[in-house]
Order: sequence, then C-alpha cells, then structure tokens
Amino acid sequence: MSELPPKSSVKRWLVTTNHKDIGILYTVTALFFLVFGGILALLIRAQLWGDLGDGRLMSGLAYNEAVTAHGLVMVFWFLSPFAFAFANYLVPLQIGADDLAFPRLNALSFWLYAFSGVLLGISFFQGGTLDAGWTIYAPLNLPAYTPSIGSTTAILALFMFVVGVTASTMNFLVTIHHSRAEGMGLMDMPLFTWSILLTVWMMLFAFATLLAVGLILASDRIFGSLFFDATTEGGSLLWGHLFWFFGHPEVYIVFFPALGVMFEVFQSFSGRRIVGRKWVIAALILIAVQSFLVWMHHMFLTTINLEIKTLMMALTIGISLPFDLIVFALIYTLIKGRIRYTTPFLYSFGALFFIVVGGITGVFLGAIVLDYEFRGTYWVVAHFHYIMFGGATALFGGLYYWFPKMTGRMYNELWGKLQFAVFFVGFNLVYFSMFAAWETPRRVFEYVEAMTPIHRVGTVGAFILAFSFLMMFYIFAHALRHGEKVGDNPWDYTRTTEWAVPSPPPLENWEGRPSFEGGSLNFVSKATDGGHASAHDHEGHADHASIWPFAISVSMLVLLLGLSGLTVWNGREITGVSTGYAAVTAIGTVAFLGSMLQFGREGFSAPQPAVAERWPFEGMDKNKLGTWFFIASDIMVFGAFITAAIFIRFEAGWTTWQPVTDSIYGLVNTFILLTSSFAVVLALVYARRGSKKGTMAAIGATMFLGLSFMAVKAVEWHEKFFIDGVSWATNVQYTTYFMTTGLHALHVLLGLMIAAWLIFRTKEGAYMDDDRPIELFGIYWHFVDIVWVFLFPLFYLF
Amino acid sequence: MASVKKYAAIYVVLLVLAAGKFVFFELDQVFGYWDAFTGVMALAVAKTALIMWYYQHLNEEPRSITYLVLGSYFLVLLLAAAATFSITSGVY
Ligand code: HEM
Ligand SMILES: [Cu+2]
Repeated sequence: MSELPPKSSVKRWLVTTNHKDIGILYTVTALFFLVFGGILALLIRAQLWGDLGDGRLMSGLAYNEAVTAHGLVMVFWFLSPFAFAFANYLVPLQIGADDLAFPRLNALSFWLYAFSGVLLGISFFQGGTLDAGWTIYAPLNLPAYTPSIGSTTAILALFMFVVGVTASTMNFLVTIHHSRAEGMGLMDMPLFTWSILLTVWMMLFAFATLLAVGLILASDRIFGSLFFDATTEGGSLLWGHLFWFFGHPEVYIVFFPALGVMFEVFQSFSGRRIVGRKWVIAALILIAVQSFLVWMHHMFLTTINLEIKTLMMALTIGISLPFDLIVFALIYTLIKGRIRYTTPFLYSFGALFFIVVGGITGVFLGAIVLDYEFRGTYWVVAHFHYIMFGGATALFGGLYYWFPKMTGRMYNELWGKLQFAVFFVGFNLVYFSMFAAWETPRRVFEYVEAMTPIHRVGTVGAFILAFSFLMMFYIFAHALRHGEKVGDNPWDYTRTTEWAVPSPPPLENWEGRPSFEGGSLNFVSKATDGGHASAHDHEGHADHASIWPFAISVSMLVLLLGLSGLTVWNGREITGVSTGYAAVTAIGTVAFLGSMLQFGREGFSAPQPAVAERWPFEGMDKNKLGTWFFIASDIMVFGAFITAAIFIRFEAGWTTWQPVTDSIYGLVNTFILLTSSFAVVLALVYARRGSKKGTMAAIGATMFLGLSFMAVKAVEWHEKFFIDGVSWATNVQYTTYFMTTGLHALHVLLGLMIAAWLIFRTKEGAYMDDDRPIELFGIYWHFVDIVWVFLFPLFYLF
Repeated sequence: MASVKKYAAIYVVLLVLAAGKFVFFELDQVFGYWDAFTGVMALAVAKTALIMWYYQHLNEEPRSITYLVLGSYFLVLLLAAAATFSITSGVY
C-alpha cells in the first residue's frame, strides 16, 4: 500500500517486500545465527579440551543442550537461510523477473524465520532448551526424558521455522515456473537457479513431512498424545522413519545451493562454461529423486530388517554415482579453463576439496558392516561437517562473489585470500582431527586418555576458525565503508544476468522488459510492449511494503510461547493448565488472527508478467499454481499422519485393532462432505453465469454442510470423552484416531472461515467478473473431502 | 467447465461408491476382512480420481499438475509401505 521508505530508515526494513531487501535481511540474520551457533561450538570444543583445573567447563546437561542447539541452529537457522539469502537476491535477477511471485508472502517467510530464531533463544531461559540432539530421537523427545518447557519451545520454534520455509518453497516454485523472462527456457537457466529449483522441489515434499513431524511431536508434548510413546519400540522407529524421510533429502537441500554457487564461481573464474552442463543438470535431477529413496541408511543400527537395509545400502552407493559425475565436471572445467585465483574461487575450490573428503567418507558409512563400526562415533561427525560445512564454504565464496553486486563496493582481495588461508587451516585442524580420533563416541565429552592431544588440536583449530570469521566480518565492514565503487560487472567473465544491471540493482530491477529471445539479453521498452498485455494482467504499479508479515510473525511467536508451557506435566502425565501461559496463548491467538485478517484485507498488488516462460505449467494463473503446490505439500502432511497410524497399528498387529467408533458417524459425514463438494462446484457454475444470488446460496450451502460435519463430529467426540471416558491420551490407538481426524477437522474449520469471507465478498459484488478465488477455494475444499475419503475407512471401517 | 447435469451425475456416482465402502464391511459373510479391505481401497481410489479429475478440474489443467499430485501420493505410499515393510521379520 504505502510507499517504501529509504534504506537508511529502520522502517524500510520492517515493511519491505522486495526480494533484494529480503535477501539482505536473510544474509544478516543467517550470519547472526552463524555467530550464535559458532559460540555454542566453541563451548563444545572447550569442554572437549578436558579438565580445566576444577572440572569441565559445563555440566553434562548443559553440554547436551549446547550440542543440540548447535546442531539445530547451524542446520536450520544458519545454513539453509544463508543459501536462501542468495536465492532471494539472485533468482529473480537470473531469470529476468521483477520479484518473486508473491513478495508479501516472501516477507512473511523471512519474519517467521527471524522470530522462530528468537523463540529458540527464549527456550534457553525456560528451564533449559532441548538436549536430545538435533535428530530429536524418540523417546528422548518426550517430556518424560526432556521435561523442561524450553524443550517444547525449541520444538515449536522449529515448527515455526518450517512454516516459513514451506511458504518460501511454494513461492520459489511458482516464481521459477511462472516468471521466467521470454526466451529463458528451463535448460537455459543459470546453474545457480537450477540448483535452487531442484532444492525447492525437494523441500516441497521433505519439509511438508517435517511440518507434520513437528505437529505430531508438539501434540505429544503439549496435549499428551502418545505417537512416540516411550513404552513401545514402535515409537522410536516411527520417529526414525519420519525424521529421516525428511532428513536425508535435507542434507541435499542444504548442499545443492552450495553446488550452485560453485558452478557459477567456477565458470566466472575459469572463464568457461561448466563442462557437460546438460549432464550436470541430469545428475542433479537424479540425485534429487534418489534422495527420497535412501533414508534408512540412518537406521542401520535399528531393528529394521536386513532386506530393507541391503536395499538402502545399494541405493546409497547408487546416489554417489551422479555425485561423482558432478565432481568430475567441476574438475574438468578447471583443467580446461584459465583460472584466476580470487577469493571466491579459493573458497569454491576449498569447498570442492571438502566435499570430496566428505563424500568418500560417506560411502564408508553407507556400507552396513562398516557402519556398524562407525555409527555413533566421531567419524560421522567428521563426515557430515566436511560435507555440510564444505557446502557452507562454497556459500562464503558466494558472499565474496556477490558482495560487490549487493553493496556496490569491492572488498580487499589480498585480505580475502589471507582470510581464506586462516579459514582453511582452522577447518582442517578441527575436522580432520576428528577422523584421527574417530573412535571417540559422538555427543559424549569423555574419551580415553590417549586421545587428549588430538582433541586439543581440534580445539585449537576451532579457535583459529572462529578468528577467521572475525577477519571476514572485518573485511566486509571495511569494504562497506571504504571499498572501491564497482560498476555493473566487476569480474571479467560472467554469464548471468545479475551482472548486466547496476550494483546494487534498482528496486524493480530492469528498465523495460528483459527478454532472452534469440539467445542473448535484450530489453523490450515498456512503451512499445503494449500489444502483449493480456486480460489477466493487472494495470498499474507494484506494491513493495506491508507491515503485516512482521505483525503475523510476532504474534505467532507469542502464541507458540504460550503453548509451550500451557499444560503442566509431572513426569509422565498432564496434571493441569498454567494460567500464565494460557493468558499468553490467548493474547497470541487474538493477535495472530487479527493480523492474518489484516493481511487478507490489505490491497497488495504484485502483477504477474504478461509474457513469460512457464513450462511445464503453461497457461496457469500464479495463484492457482501456488494452490496446487500447497495441496501437494498438504498431501505429504496428511500422509505423515496416516503413515504414523498405519505403522503403529501394524506394529501392534493389524487385526488386533477394531475401529474405536461407530462407523455410522463416518458414513454420515462422508455423505455430508460429498454433498458439500457438489455445492462448491455449483458455486463456481453460478459465479461463471454471473448470478450473485446463486453463488451466495451455493457457498452458503457449503458452509451449512461444513457446519453439519462439525456437528456430527462434536456428537461423536462428546460420546468418546463423556460417555466412554476416553481421550487421545488413553492409548496410542485413540491417539491416531483423535489426532488425524482432528487435523482434518481443523482443515474443515479453516475452509469454513474462508467460505464466510467469500460470502461476504460476493455480497459486496466481488467475483462476478473474476471467479478465480471461488475456484481456488473449491480446489482446497475438494482436497479436504478427498482426505476424508481415506480417513473414513482407516478409522471407521478397517 | 462441464454442465450441471454432468456434475450431478458424478455426484450420484460418488454417493454410490461411498455407500459401497460401507456395504463391503456390512456383508461380512460374503467378504473376508482382506477382501473388503481391498475393495474399499479400490473404491477410495476411484472416488479420489473422480473428484480430482472433474471437480478439481485436473482435466482442464496442464497435465503436469496431475503428475505433481501423483508425485505426492507416490511419496506417501512409499513412506508408508517401506516403513511398514521394514518392521516385518525378514528372511534372514
Ligand atoms: C556420497 C554421498 C553421501 C553418502 C554415501 C552419505 C552417507 C551417509 C550415511 C550412511 C550416514 C549415516 C551414518 C551413521 O549415522 O552411522 C550419513 C550421515 C550423515 N550425512 Fe551423509 N552421505 C553422503 C553425503 C552427504 C551430504 C551431501 C550431506 C549434507 C550436505 C550429508 C550429511 C550427513 C549428515 C548430517 C549425517 C549425520 C546425521 C546424524 O546426525 O546422524 N551426507 N551419511
Ligand atoms: Cu543420509
């Protein structure tokens, strides 16, 4: 709505929705979390030094908290967001777009991320944060073993983070599939954008699963449901499956953007295109697919059967093949090119070295018999640091590479190289020493006497590494003030569009409409472009400012903080409700709903390009495409709940369970929902005919049927709670029944709220010449119906 | 967009299929548990296909949207099936 204040004003940074501003916000915030996670790492290393004269630095519990928080912060709050800082800044520039498809949603993603980090910080002060390791294994993740309120808060913080990530995922998917400038076919895209595209495709499915995992765990911890109940082995295996189904793709999710940076930097500083570019893209696609097929290599030491372990071993070794191809393509590019040893290049080259070491040691872990030895040792810690921190190394190279673009100033090249040298030495001291001391058990600070010198080398290395970051911050701070001003392109050889505009680029990126038609970049002047505008194109200018993403995120923080301590536990059971926390929850809920409503009511225009490459989703409106991506991820969320229900029942012996409720409730509700689906179809038919009355009546009927569904549900649950005297905390079967149908009921409730809004708007005369919102609501509502098609047999018949 | 008549016909078919699910489990003299189970799952898939194809208008969208949704369903099936299989007692 309002105009965007200048960059010198604080307000600018709170309201901006521009992708470059948000890219900078991500950069700064991610680096803040790097420091946070880094300090925790130094604490860990200090503890590993040994006795400091009067005992160790930290208590055992504090050490566990430090290790857990370090892992969570680095993987979630630093690495991915740092990569997405570049994605935000550069993807629109590289594909010739003005901004992301949904700029305001993008701002929301950022603020959810930032405040979820604040929430994690708060968790330290609520009786200690989570101390179960970043893998949060069951049953350690339950209040019986991690009783502090802070543990619950940490999990809610992760949940909040994932909500933001999910929104961001859909945003990038729609942007890259919907806003590519004319002539920018998928195969023409720069490799950094390619790597981001594949990253968000993996995220679409993987993070939706994590979202469900977060919901399930939060429900266990706050409401006392029993999904991961400590009394059965099934609970901990269920966690293993759900977490690693997300977790293995996640390691590629953090790694792909780093590869993307390496491709760009290798090209720019070897002065030639990546060798075998097409094959590299094919290999990336293959890895993205395979990443969903190997998750159980993290479960070799559980009781899962040998057949599946063997299959996972074969697939794991299979995934290293495309990985090899990429490494060879990178090496061969260097051999054929003429290298210029700048700081970004050194970082990318260092990253290549690290990931080769990490990859080779990973193949050891992928072999079952070897993993029996290596699992739970420092070998694993060294492996994944070489890989993941190796990825981060490439990203630091990216920071040097794009710093001039983002700030318009050049850093000091000599200092940069020096800084890299210190970084490289420190890195290898810390992590190579871990291979030398690999027999040390992971996450344990006590080790055999003989290892002491090696661990002390590691600790010294850690402080050298930390010092190199201080150097880096100084170099950038200095460059911001005194660095030489640069033009569009400070590097001699570049291949991507961001270097064709000023540094930093103007707010709307381009003068005229960029086009890659004919193989090179041209600008079609806006004046002569009139003929292209289509009926869907909004006239007028784009908005760049909104305060509601910020407001929603703050209120969500309050809401989750309230939930964290809502129920009071004594060891195993809920014994009451905390009034203080209940009040915070209530305030948070009101603020959250209020700011959501404002977000919905605010007129915010983000025009979609009239001319764009959209394969393979040609001819679709961006909102509809976004809705479909949302549905795809919601399928995964329900899928995780349904998997949990099936898995737990199977473990208990499938036929030893009978439905816990009368099937007639399910049948009646099936008919009600089917009828409501038909009513939504009619609403769209009437809207297309321009009949206001008919549309309102049809949506009204949908609402009525939705409310009837909820009424039947209320009767059904009332019977359970008050006549049978059971709840989700009775046993794990009731847990799956209540929580899965409960999640579905929440979806119905959300649908009812949207329906009420639509009726209100129809009455005001909206939708008669633009019925798209009604169509999108229909897609959502039918999806809720489809979920019920499966829940009905699962909980009422089988 | 199809005609109201066609939508209504699909609605009737959906109702019949839904009732069919219930019937499978009512006639337990005719169908064994796993027959009924299989039958119900088949009906559920048929219902889903009808709703998606006609009510959500996948028939009018680029085919890629159908593949996108099938991709999600496939991954859910993979997760559920592989996880469940992993706790069967193997041959060894
Ligand atoms: C050739 C490629 C790779 C192979 C064969 C491989 C294999 C493995 C295996 C089998 C494990 C389980 C070890 C155990 O817990 O006993 C593991 C752990 C791990 N890997 Fe890899 N990996 C590869 C690449 C990567 C990449 C690219 C990343 C991340 C960017 C990564 C990150 C991790 C992490 C974080 C863990 C530890 C998880 C934990 O905390 O338990 N790996 N790897
Ligand atoms: Cu893995």
